[in-house]
Amino acid sequence: MNLTICLLMARRFVERARLRELVDGYRDLSDAAFERTFERDKEELRAMGVPIETGSNSVLFPDEVGYRIRRRDFELPEIDFDAAETAALGVASTVWDDASRGREAGAALAKLRASGLDPDADRVAGFAPTVGAREPAFETLWEAVLRPSRVAFRYRDRERVIEPWRLLNRTGSWYLIGLDVGRGEGRSFKVSRIASAPALVAGEVRPADPEVVAAHVASLRPRRGIESVVAVREGAAPDLVRFAERVGADAPEGFAAWRVRLPANAAGELAWYGADVLVLEPATLADTVRAHLEAVVAWA
Amino acid sequence: MGMTSAVQVPRLLALVPYLIAHPDADLATTASVFGVTPRQLVADLKVLWFCGLPGGGPGDLIEVDMDALEEGRIRLTNADFLGRPLRFTPEEAMSLIVALRACEEMAGASLAPAVRSARAKLEAAFGGADIARVDITVAAGAAPVRDALADAIADGAAVRLTYHGAARGVATEPLVDPVQLGTRDGYGYLTAWARDKGAWRTYRLERIVAVARTGDATGEHGPAPALASGWLDDRGDVVAVTLDLRPDGHWIVEYLPVDDVQHRPRGIVRARLRVADPAWFRRMLLRLGPAVVRVDPPEAAASAIAAAREALETARAATGGAGEGVE
Repeated sequence: MNLTICLLMARRFVERARLRELVDGYRDLSDAAFERTFERDKEELRAMGVPIETGSNSVLFPDEVGYRIRRRDFELPEIDFDAAETAALGVASTVWDDASRGREAGAALAKLRASGLDPDADRVAGFAPTVGAREPAFETLWEAVLRPSRVAFRYRDRERVIEPWRLLNRTGSWYLIGLDVGRGEGRSFKVSRIASAPALVAGEVRPADPEVVAAHVASLRPRRGIESVVAVREGAAPDLVRFAERVGADAPEGFAAWRVRLPANAAGELAWYGADVLVLEPATLADTVRAHLEAVVAWA
Repeated sequence: MGMTSAVQVPRLLALVPYLIAHPDADLATTASVFGVTPRQLVADLKVLWFCGLPGGGPGDLIEVDMDALEEGRIRLTNADFLGRPLRFTPEEAMSLIVALRACEEMAGASLAPAVRSARAKLEAAFGGADIARVDITVAAGAAPVRDALADAIADGAAVRLTYHGAARGVATEPLVDPVQLGTRDGYGYLTAWARDKGAWRTYRLERIVAVARTGDATGEHGPAPALASGWLDDRGDVVAVTLDLRPDGHWIVEYLPVDDVQHRPRGIVRARLRVADPAWFRRMLLRLGPAVVRVDPPEAAASAIAAAREALETARAATGGAGEGVE
C-alpha cells in the first residue's frame, strides 16, 4: 500500500535504494529480505492492475533503474454517468451467476462507487437478469480471450491449439470462436463439450479477418433451413405459426395452411404437436414425421 | 506492503476515494458496499492509518477519526493524494460490459437507453476495438411485450397475458400480478402471481404475445421465489418415469429436471424424470420418438401412443385428400 502511494506521488522514477529508505516496512529489512519483499510486492501490484513503470531519470546513466506509477495510467478515468446509467451499472454488477465474474463485476462497481457514483436500486426494482458460466472450461477461456493468449484443449477427440477470437453466449450456452492453429482455419467450439482442462500456451494471436469472424458468429444462429407448408388446427401451435405466412394450400376442415422455415431434422419438433400439425410440403419431411410417429406407435 | 494482502490492497485503493467522496460515511453501509464485515472494514481502516506519504511523519499519514469510528461513522483525512480509484482491470471492465449486454437484451423501454449508453461509455473508456470479443444474446421476446411488462411491474398493475405455453400447444390467457423480469439459461422470464392458480409461475418472455392491463392493482403475495428453482418442484402429484434413451435423446438430460442418470451398455442413458404435467410429458415423448427405447412404467406412454396414432390417421386422411404423393 505504501509502495503504491510512494510511487504514485513521485514525479520521477524512484530507485530501489531510495524506496527502501522511503517506504515504511522496507526500512528494517535485511538486504536479501528487502529484495525478496520488494519483488513480490511489485509483482502483486502489477497483477492487480497497478501500472508500475520501470525506467531511468538519467540519459547519461540509463542503467540506474527506478520505478514510478503515472497518475493518468493509475486512476479510473472520469466517466460522466447519469443517474439512470448508474442504476443500470448497479444491476449489471449483480448479473453474473458465476463466482469469479461476479467478484470482478463487484470490484468494478466498488471502484465506480469510490469515484462518487451511487446506484439507486429502486430505479431498477423488478429487473433481475442472470448470466451463468457453469462450463468448467469457461474460466481459462475468458482469460485467453481477454489477454489474448493461445489456448490448448481437447475437443472431439483431437488436441487443439486455438487463437481465440470471440467468446459468445447464445441462449444460455457459451461458444468459443477462434483459429484452429493445427488446421489453419476458423472453428466454433461449444464450451460445454470441451473435453480437457484448457491451458494457456505460448504463441502469437494474430488479428482475425473481421469477415471470417462474422461468418462464424452468424453460423451460431439457429438454422431454419427448409421452406415447408404445414396445416395447423385452428388455435393450436401458436408458437409455430407466430412468424409464419398464411397460404392458400388445401388444408383439412378446421385447419389452416402456413408457410414456415424448419430445420431439416424437424420431425421431433413437429411430432410434438401430435394431430394438431400436419406437413403438406415437402414430402420428404412428411415422411420423416410419419416414421417418427410410427416409432411411437411401435412402443405399444 | 507488509501486513496488507493481495485481496486487501485493491479494496483499500477503492476504499480511500470512496471515503473521500462520502464524508462521514456509515460503517455498516460502507462494509456492505465493499462486501466485507464491519469488523474487516475496521481492520482495513487500521491498516490505512499506517499508510501515507513517504517520510512517515505525523502530517504525512492518513488519519482516521477513531472516536467517530466507535460510533459507527468513518471520517478520513489527509488522504487527498488517493482521490480516484484504480483503473478497471480488463477482466473487471469486461465482466461489467458483458453483464450490461445481457441487461440490454432484457430491459424495457424505460431502462434500455440507460443500459446502452452506460455500456457505450464504458467501452469508449476501456475497450476500443477489442471489446466485442465477448458477447451475449438472450431470447427475450418482443420489445413491446417487455416494455408493457416492465411498466406494469413499475406501476403495480395486474395484466392478462396471451401465452403460448409449450406444454399444451394452445394459447392461454392467464391473469397475473407481474413482479419480476429475469433471465435463466439464456431465456428471459416473467415471474408473476397467477391468480387462477393462486401460485407463483414463470412465463417465457418469447412465448408471451400480448399483455393487457386489467385495471386492477397487484395484490400482496410475499416474496417471489428465485428463478433458479425448477418450477416442476413445487407441483403436487408428481410421478417418476424412467426413460431409456438412445444418443439422439440424451439432450433431455441437460434440459429437463432429471433425478437420476445411469449410463447403460450400447450408448443407452437411463434417466428418471419427475412428471407433473401429463400433457407436457405426452408431447415430450412425441418429440423424442425413436430416441426412446423403453418407458417405465409402460402406462406412462399410453397417451403419447394414442396421440401418435391419431396424428398418423389425420395425416393419412389429409394428404390423401390433398393428393400429396406420400405413398
